[in-house]
Amino acid sequence: MDLSTLVYGLNLAAIYGLMAIGISILWSSVGMINMAHGATFAVSGYAAWLASTAMKPVIAAAFGKTLLASLATAGVVVGVALIAGALMGALIYLLAFLPIHDKPNFAVRSLIVTLAINIATVQALLFFFGPRSRGLPKIFGFGRLEIFGVSIRYDQAGTILCTAVLLLVVLEWLRHSRKGLEICAMMQNPEGAALSGVSVRFTALPIMMVTGALAGMAAALLSQTIFVSPTAGAIPLIKGLTIALLGGLGSVPGAVLGALLIGFLEAFTGVIPFLGQRYVMFIQFAFIITVLVIRPRGLGGLLDDTRE
Amino acid sequence: MPETARTETHELLEIRRLTAGYGPLRVLHEVDLTVKAGERIGLVGLNGHGKSTLFRAITHLVGWQQGSIRLDGREIGGTRSLGAGRRTSGIVRLGVAMAPQGDAIFPGLTVRQHLDCGAYPRTAWRERRTRRERILEIFPPLRALQDSLVGKLSGGERRMVSLGRMLMVEAELYLIDEPSLGLAPKISRAVMDAVWSLPTEGRAMIIAEQNVSLLSGRVDRIIGMHAGRMRGEVGHVALS
Amino acid sequence: MVDVTQTKQSAPKKLYKVGRHHHDYRLRPNGTQEWSRARLPFTRRHWLKWRGINNPRTLTRERVLVDKKPLWWTLSLGALLIVTPFLPNAMINVAAIFCMYAAINVLWTLIIGTAGIFSLATLAVVGMAGYAAAAANVYLGVPWPLMFAIGPVVGLLIGGILALPSTRLDGLYYALLTMGVAEICRIFVTQLRPLAPTNGSINKVGSFIPEDWFLQREGLLLGFAGAFVLLLGALLVFRLVNSERLGLLLRAAKTGREDEAFSEACGIDFRRARMQVFLISSAALGVCGAFYAMYYRSISPSVFSLDQLLLLFAMMVIGGLGRSEGAVLGAAIVILIDKGFVELGPLRIMLVALIMGGVTIFAHEGLTGARQQFRNFRNRKKSERRAVRTEKGGEVMPEEATEIADKQEIYYRRFNKRLRDELKTYITPELIEEHRQAPLGRHSDTLERVLNYFRRGEVPDKYAILRVDGSMDRFRILAFSGERGAPPRVVDDKEYQTLSEAYHAVFLLRVNDLLES
Repeated sequence: MDLSTLVYGLNLAAIYGLMAIGISILWSSVGMINMAHGATFAVSGYAAWLASTAMKPVIAAAFGKTLLASLATAGVVVGVALIAGALMGALIYLLAFLPIHDKPNFAVRSLIVTLAINIATVQALLFFFGPRSRGLPKIFGFGRLEIFGVSIRYDQAGTILCTAVLLLVVLEWLRHSRKGLEICAMMQNPEGAALSGVSVRFTALPIMMVTGALAGMAAALLSQTIFVSPTAGAIPLIKGLTIALLGGLGSVPGAVLGALLIGFLEAFTGVIPFLGQRYVMFIQFAFIITVLVIRPRGLGGLLDDTRE
Repeated sequence: MPETARTETHELLEIRRLTAGYGPLRVLHEVDLTVKAGERIGLVGLNGHGKSTLFRAITHLVGWQQGSIRLDGREIGGTRSLGAGRRTSGIVRLGVAMAPQGDAIFPGLTVRQHLDCGAYPRTAWRERRTRRERILEIFPPLRALQDSLVGKLSGGERRMVSLGRMLMVEAELYLIDEPSLGLAPKISRAVMDAVWSLPTEGRAMIIAEQNVSLLSGRVDRIIGMHAGRMRGEVGHVALS
Repeated sequence: MVDVTQTKQSAPKKLYKVGRHHHDYRLRPNGTQEWSRARLPFTRRHWLKWRGINNPRTLTRERVLVDKKPLWWTLSLGALLIVTPFLPNAMINVAAIFCMYAAINVLWTLIIGTAGIFSLATLAVVGMAGYAAAAANVYLGVPWPLMFAIGPVVGLLIGGILALPSTRLDGLYYALLTMGVAEICRIFVTQLRPLAPTNGSINKVGSFIPEDWFLQREGLLLGFAGAFVLLLGALLVFRLVNSERLGLLLRAAKTGREDEAFSEACGIDFRRARMQVFLISSAALGVCGAFYAMYYRSISPSVFSLDQLLLLFAMMVIGGLGRSEGAVLGAAIVILIDKGFVELGPLRIMLVALIMGGVTIFAHEGLTGARQQFRNFRNRKKSERRAVRTEKGGEVMPEEATEIADKQEIYYRRFNKRLRDELKTYITPELIEEHRQAPLGRHSDTLERVLNYFRRGEVPDKYAILRVDGSMDRFRILAFSGERGAPPRVVDDKEYQTLSEAYHAVFLLRVNDLLES
C-alpha cells in the first residue's frame, strides 16, 4: 500500500467529485435530479474527440511538434469539452426543466425525463458513432514527476490540479457574483429567494450550464485513462449520484468529502489481492449503504443547510 | 362635511372573489379587497383565519382555486393552483414586496448579503451601497452585525433583516406579515416605528397584525378576517 | 319620467355551455318492478357498481354504471385471450412476454404506488427467486410444481431483507440502496461456481410445459395460458391489497411528510402497512420469478440487467405510475414497439425513451390519467373565465345558477343588479345638492327613487344617527351590526351639529356605497 495508490485515489476522487458537486448543487437549488449527467459526460467526450481530430492537422501545421502544439491540443480538448457540457446542460434545461418546472410532482418527473434523455442520447451516440471507443489525445503528455518521493503521472497531477482550480473558480463565483448570490439564496430558502425577486426560471439556466461544464471537464480528464464511448457516462453518473447522496444532497463540502472517501476506497480495493477490480462497485455500495443507514441524510448534514 | 364625489385615486390592488387554499383545503372564501395608492391598511384576525394565506395568495406562494387579483389593473396570474411559488418572482418584480411570517431568511448568508439579495433590479444593484446605508439608518442595530450569519441572529434582528431586505427596492405594494410577532415590546416598537416611517406616496401597505393596538391611529382602514372571510371594518364603539 | 321597464340595448349575449358533468349513459329500468343485483358468491360484494338516480326533469328512475373500469378490463383481456391462439408462433411468444412483464409491473406498481416505496430491486427479487427455484429443481430434484412454492418463500426472504432499511431511508436514498442490492445479487450469482457452472445460467429446468412441447406451438400456447393466469393472479393481488384494508390505510400517508404525520396522528400504523404490502408483493414477485424460470426452461444473469429494469420502469411511467391499468397499458405499448419495430435496432429504445419523456412532460399521471387531467384543465379554464366575467354582486353566472337550489334567488340578484345600475345613472351633483338643501320633505321623483332604495337596505351595516349624550347639537353616525347582542360600530369620529347635516352625511355614505358596488 504505497502512496501512489493514494494519488490514484485522489485522481479518481477529483473526477467523481466534479460529477457529484454538479448533481448536488442542481438538486438543492432547483430541486431536480439530473440523470442525464452521464449523457452530458459522453457527449462532451465525443465533442472533444471530434474537435481534436478536426484540429490535429491545423495545429500540426501551425506549431509542429512543440510544447505549444500540445498546449494548443490541451486547450482545444478542454475548451470544447467545457463548451459542449454547458450546451448540453442548456439543452437539458430546455427539455426537462422549462416544460414542467411549475407543474406538480416536479422532482419525480424531472428524474424520469432526464432518464429518458439519457437513454435517448446514449442510443443516438451508439447509432452515430458505433460502439467502438475512441481515444482522446493526451493533454498532459506522458511521463512522471517526483513529489515527496512519490511518483505521480503527469495526467494524474494535471487532473488533480485542474479540478482544484475549476472548483475554486466555481466556488468563488458562487460566493461573490450576483448570480452566485441568487443561487446560494435559492439553495438555502427557496421561498425567501422567490420573494427577493430571484426567478427560478432564469437562475436555473446558468446553474445547468455550469454543472454541465463540470461534467464536460470530468469527461476530458477521465478520458486520459479510459476511452470515450457512448456508455462511458453511465459509471461516472452512478458514482456521482451515489457520492452526492453520500455527502448529503445540497452540501458541497459533503460531496467533496464523499468523493475523497470513495476515491480512496476504490483505489485501495483495487490493490487488495483477493478482491480486485471486480468487487469495487460491490464494496462501494456496501460502504455507502452502511453510512446512509447510520446517517440517513448523508455526511453533509449540519455543515450547511440542505433542502430536504 | 365629508367629501362628496370620490377623488380619482389610483386603485393599486383589486382582489375579487378569491378562493384559495392548500391543496384541497380552502382557507380563503370569496375574499374581496380593494386597495388604493397611498393607503395603509391593517388586517386583523386571529391566528389561522387567513391573514397570512391572503398575503401568500397575492404573491402566489399558495395556489388559488378561483378568483382574480389585479395589480395596477393588470391581472396577475389565473387560477392555476399548480406550481405555487414559481410565479412569485414575477409578481415580486411587478412591484410587490412581502416580509413573510418566519422571515424567510437564508441561514448561511450574512446580513450584507441578505440586503444585497433584496436589490434585484439593475438600478438597485448598482446603488446598493447607498441603499444599504439607508437601511442601516432605519435599523441601527444591524450596523454592527453586517458580517454575521443571519442564521445565528436573534428574532428581532432577523425581523429587521427581513424588513430591510424588503425595503431595498421601491415597491408599489408592501405586504408585512405580523411584524411584531415573537418580539419583546421594546423591539417591536422599534420595528413598528420603522414601518410607520415609510413613505406612502403613490404606494400602499397592508400590515397583518393580531395586536390591534399597534395599528390604531396609524392606518387608514382596519379590516377584519374571520374564518377566511372579510368581516368588514372593525372598530370600537366609544359611548362615553 | 323615467321608464324603468326600458331594457338596455346590449350586444347579443354570448351563450355559454352550462353544467360540468360528462355525459353518462343511463338505463331506464321498469320503475314498478323490484331491482335485483347479483352478488359475488360467498361475499356481499356486487359484480358491477350500479347506482339508481332520480331524474328530476322526467321524474323517472334511471340506472347508471358508475365505475366502468371492469368493462374495460374484461374487454381488453378477453380480446387478448381470444385473439392470441390464432396468431403466428412469434406473436404468441410476444403475448406471453407481455403478460409476464405486465404481471411484474402490476406488482411493482403496488410497491411504488400503494406503499410509496421507491424500490428498484424488483428484478433482483424476481431473479433470485427464479434462481433459487431453478437450482432446487435442477440440483435437488424438486418436482416443478413445488417451484411455485419455493419462489414466493425466497421472494419473501429477500423482500424482508430489503424492507429493513426502508424505515430509515426514503425516496432517492432508498432507490440507491435497492440498486446496490440488485448489483450485489448479480455479482453473487455470477461468482457462485457451484450454482451456475455455465456462465451464470441454469438450464434444463423442469416446467409445466412438457419437454417435447417446448418451442412448439402447443408449448407456446400452454406457456401463454400460464402467463395469462399469472397476470390475472397479479391483478387479483393488486386488487386485494390496494382496494382493501391495507391500501385504504396507506392512502392517507401517500404524499409527503405532512400526510404521514397526519395519518400517524389518526392512529394509522402506516409503516407496518407499508412493510406488509412490500412483503406481499415480494412474495408474489417470487412466484413470477419461478414462472419465468419455467417458461424459458432456464435462467441467466441477464434478468438482473439495468437495461431490463429501465425498460420495465419506462412501461410503468408511460402507462401512469400508481395505477394497475397504467402498468398493463404501458407494458403493451412498450412491448409493441420493442418487438414490432425490430428493424430499427437501437433506435427502438430511443423511441421508448422519447415517449417516456414526452408522456412525463405533458401528462401528469401518464396515459391513463390523461382524461382526468384534461377534464381538470377544462374546469379550471372555465372557472378562470368565470371569475373574470363576474362583477361583484352582479348577475349569477349560468354555471353557478345550476348549483343554486332556490331559483328565485337568481332573479332577485338580477333585479337588484339592474336596479342599482339604473340608480347609478341618477346620481348627479344636482341630486346631492338637492338633498343637502332639504334632507327631509318633498323630493323630486329621481331623488325619491334613490331614497326608497336606500331605505329598503338590510339591517346589517345600515347607517343610523346617534344623538351623543342626549344633547341637541352633537350627532354621530353608526352602522348596525345586524347581530343580536353585538353593538353597532362607529363609522368615523366626525360630529355633526344639526340633524340635517347628519342626514345628509348618511345620504352621502350610502351614495358612496352604491357607486362602489
